[in-house]
Amino acid sequence: MTTSVKWIWPAVLVGMCLLPLGVGIYPQHVLIVSLFYVMMAASWNLLAGYTGQVSFGHAAMAGIGAYTSGILAAKAGLNPWIGIAAGTLFAALLGLGLGALCLKMGGIYLSLTTLAFSQILHIIIVNEYEVTRGTMGLQVPGLIPEYSKLAYYYILLAATVLVLFILYRMIHSNLGLNFRAVQNDETAARAVGVRVLHLRVLAFTAASAMAGFAGGLYGHYLLLVTPEIPSLDLQFYVLAMTVIGGMGSFVGPILGAFAINILAEKIRDYGEYHVLVFGLVALATARFAPEGLIGVWRSLRRRPAR
Amino acid sequence: MLLEGRKISKRFGGVQALSEVDFHVEEGSITGLIGPNGAGKTTLFSIVAGALKPTSGRTFFEGREITGLPADQICRRGIARTFQIVRPFASMSCLENVLVAAVNRHPERPRAALEAAARDLLGQVGLADFADQEARHLNVIQKKRLELARALATEPRLLLLDEVLGGLNTQEIQEAVEDIRALRDRRGITILWIEHVMGAIMQAADRVIVLDQGRVLTAAPPREVVSDPRVIQAYLGE
Repeated sequence: MTTSVKWIWPAVLVGMCLLPLGVGIYPQHVLIVSLFYVMMAASWNLLAGYTGQVSFGHAAMAGIGAYTSGILAAKAGLNPWIGIAAGTLFAALLGLGLGALCLKMGGIYLSLTTLAFSQILHIIIVNEYEVTRGTMGLQVPGLIPEYSKLAYYYILLAATVLVLFILYRMIHSNLGLNFRAVQNDETAARAVGVRVLHLRVLAFTAASAMAGFAGGLYGHYLLLVTPEIPSLDLQFYVLAMTVIGGMGSFVGPILGAFAINILAEKIRDYGEYHVLVFGLVALATARFAPEGLIGVWRSLRRRPAR
Repeated sequence: MLLEGRKISKRFGGVQALSEVDFHVEEGSITGLIGPNGAGKTTLFSIVAGALKPTSGRTFFEGREITGLPADQICRRGIARTFQIVRPFASMSCLENVLVAAVNRHPERPRAALEAAARDLLGQVGLADFADQEARHLNVIQKKRLELARALATEPRLLLLDEVLGGLNTQEIQEAVEDIRALRDRRGITILWIEHVMGAIMQAADRVIVLDQGRVLTAAPPREVVSDPRVIQAYLGE
């Protein structure tokens, strides 16, 4: 690691700690939601960016986390923190099962199966009104006795740092080396002993757990868990953030999550058209800057050096 | 006998690529695998290495059946290969290319030790100066050397070489033949070697298997093979 990188992360962290101070409640809310999306995009990137598995079930996993914890807290009076742990574990188990089931099929089948999983989950949640309160949404208790945006911000920030730290360690270990080998050439990777299937199931389980964790925290922040968390809208949001930020890079999805979420707030006035704008931005990115924002930044930085 | 194939057949749709191929490779030998284009040599390699499953037939390595095992397991049993058309991990450095193989052979060893060993291997194939460069920047011959280093990092007992001499001049071929011999003599690696450069095979191999149209034409020491009228006919036609 170069020295310039060594101080960048602590500096960013200090900046992130100071960021919500002195701003109003609304910007604080936008930042908290952005942190949720950072966790979602960064963990989805582990799948799509590092192991080439385009899952459409990532938002569904966040939904699993949110509803598991929410139902346990609202119906059984369980402490939300324990609920979040349970939701994370449940998402991991579902990820493991779904992974073992469909990763052997690979490619488009994974996308289709996770899409079906996500739709099935959505239908169950909407229809099981007694348990989930359907589209009305389930009221859940908060994580802290006294509601404070600032406190939630720091909780989400700590969680995001934890998720990013785990992802960073994974990517920079033997595991990450194997991921990259598979991304480069699956046949050659197998030929040198990489256990491709193991690797994919592991990544899928880990990413699902992270989505479940993020979803659980998010639900207890919103105090209302609705089917909008495990929705395809949210899924495509996460996808757009990762693609626009830069798939397969560590920083890309983090930038993408902040950029897109803040942009979304800015263009909210255009109503439904903001979805159209994201579609166009994502298309333009895929066409003109396939490595996303981070790729653009890298090439800009490289040019003056020559 | 280190490797044995019994009645291996492979069909791709309407094409019978291999028909009941029986063959074996002696431990400690350099065995050549030759034959005209389309004879099924690379298909046979892919079946041994687990990249393809045979339509029928069985393969044995060190007396244990390996038919149909996935490629990564076959690698762990001790069979490594290079590819006819090179397949380096293009966006990874040369060092990382070799490291991938090393960490899967010895996941328990610390990274620093594996890295040192990987650098050493790169040095042995003449790529010491390229360790930190991305593999995509290498030329084809360097990529072939990188593949060899990567294969060696899996610590194979049997190495499958698929046309490693393509694109080399006479002088370089001579050096490569010496290097391949050294793999057998110094490291004790058994070699099964597909090659179109006939002179090299005749010089280095102890035994040569000749495939033609998916069948074994003959398997004999090189001197007998070159004078076999069936082999000459297969190469030159009627």
